[in-house]
Amino acid sequence: MEEDLGPAGPGNGTQPVIRLEGVSKVYSLPFGDVIALDKVSLTIMPGEFIAIMGPSGSGKSTLLNLIGSLDVPTEGRLYIDGQDTSELSDDELTELRRDRIGFIFQQFNLIPLLNVFENVEYPMILKTRKSIRKSRKAHEILMRIGLTDSMLAHKPKELSGGQQQRVAIARALINDPAILLCDEPTGNLDTKTGEVIMDLLKEVNASGKTVIMVTHDPDVATYASRKITLVDGRIV
Amino acid sequence: MIFFELSQRNIRLNWLRSLLAVLGIVIGVMAIASMGILGNSLTLSVTASLSSVGDSVIVIPSMGQQGGMGGVTTANELITERQVQQIQRVAAPNDMVPLYSGVDRYEIGGEKGVVTVYGIEPDRMPILVDLADGVFPRTTGGALAGAIFAEENDLKPGSRVTLGSETIRVVGILEEQGMGFDINPDFALLVSDRFYSQVYGQEDYDMVIVKVADINDIEEVKDGIDRALNRRGEDVVTVYDSRAILEVITEAFGQIALFTTAIGGISLLVAGVSIFNVQMMSVTERIKEIGIIRSIGTKRGEVLRMFIYESLILGGVGAGIGGILSFAGGYAVSIIMLQTTEYLFYPSSLVYIPYGIAIGLIVTLLSGLYPAWKAANLNPIEALRYE
Repeated sequence: MEEDLGPAGPGNGTQPVIRLEGVSKVYSLPFGDVIALDKVSLTIMPGEFIAIMGPSGSGKSTLLNLIGSLDVPTEGRLYIDGQDTSELSDDELTELRRDRIGFIFQQFNLIPLLNVFENVEYPMILKTRKSIRKSRKAHEILMRIGLTDSMLAHKPKELSGGQQQRVAIARALINDPAILLCDEPTGNLDTKTGEVIMDLLKEVNASGKTVIMVTHDPDVATYASRKITLVDGRIV
Repeated sequence: MIFFELSQRNIRLNWLRSLLAVLGIVIGVMAIASMGILGNSLTLSVTASLSSVGDSVIVIPSMGQQGGMGGVTTANELITERQVQQIQRVAAPNDMVPLYSGVDRYEIGGEKGVVTVYGIEPDRMPILVDLADGVFPRTTGGALAGAIFAEENDLKPGSRVTLGSETIRVVGILEEQGMGFDINPDFALLVSDRFYSQVYGQEDYDMVIVKVADINDIEEVKDGIDRALNRRGEDVVTVYDSRAILEVITEAFGQIALFTTAIGGISLLVAGVSIFNVQMMSVTERIKEIGIIRSIGTKRGEVLRMFIYESLILGGVGAGIGGILSFAGGYAVSIIMLQTTEYLFYPSSLVYIPYGIAIGLIVTLLSGLYPAWKAANLNPIEALRYE
């Protein structure tokens, strides 16, 4: 598993892949506004492996959702791959997620109606708008990530947690994103499997992809090249 | 298409409720199409059984207010010879037939009964009726028997019928005519005007029928008679034309047909509600999945399409099966209600099948719209967090 996992996306160089300038996120609730992020500024360069840490309610998930362009800031500017997300429409944000960002979730979040192979192909089909069946690219990635041919026709629920997370990683990589976003990637796995998955992410990072990971597990955070700790919506 | 594939798989995964939703559409489409076919067949069969002529202007004595307070109609108001001549002048050159009509007891070989008797000048009989057998009467003692009356009493040319105290000889049998608006000869006896007026002592006529040669003249003739006879603002005679009645009846049956189709529509509405329900369930169950596919790059429009496809598959399959079965349904209701399927194969009947299918598809599309819209507009973050 020492081989290259594909080239990193554009932006490789001196330009930051993520840049936050005084970003705030305020949620309006009936009993008052909740400030989830308070004027956060942050720059992430291509090839970094970032661990975002902090207690629950500190704004980790909000920050991840913003970087993942699932949400836009209430205030401030957020640049993903040089793009100001506040200027993008919902469809453009969706395309950004599809083409530039790979998501890895704690609960794997594979599509239950699709089998393993189709799950990996799905983002590629979204991007190319073609019904590619049994593409070589998806197969290659799945093999490299450590799955066997006999697993490919199975539904996600028939695999173990570790295997599902491998499929999720393969799915996240299929469109050659610049950024990999991981939300507690080992949270649902035992320690040993968690280590295997972290090694895999480390490898992906070594191949040039920026990895941004939310975790509250200090052991997992040691894989990162930089730690960012949030408390009450602020970086400390 | 991956979205079509996903829709299809979800339907298969929830096959039972999908099947029930499809069944609803099948029944709805069948109800609409079968009811439409029934209504149309009904209209067709009624129109066909009415005598096809739409070219008669009928003049009868007015049964208006002359009868006084009690609403009793004055049966002795008749059309006088002078009025007949007025009608003749207005109606010329169209054929005109003044006639007597009444009811009398008859006896045929010991069998007794009551029969409608028309008294018509023999020369003018061919204007109103056609012969199936025999000849038109040449003497006052000759009569024509209506098709059904003859059949029921086994009458042939040469048979004798005792009418009141007189005996007449049947010289001809009429063609079956169907229900008419002027005279109904099928169940009647036609005698000469002279015979009628001698036996019943009646000089003035019960009715005058004008056969209009050119159908476009019908209004003109009608209005002409009306003006000539109802002069002083009072209704001496009532003038109407068979075409107008035919239109009223056809229209009435058209409305019955519409009504039966609307009843079918209610069941399709119910089916639409069930599609809506199934789709709402599908969306609610898959909130998390929607969150996943939205977060990894599926656009709103694509999610919308996925759910629209789902309802369209249900609707399409349902409407298709419903369309095929509504042919059988139309056949069945025709047999049961009309005892004939001869009107089933008319284009105006069969067109209800594509109508039913189209309405079924529209209903499913509309029912699937809101759930799909709801799915597409879920907040991906909240949807992802949904358990």
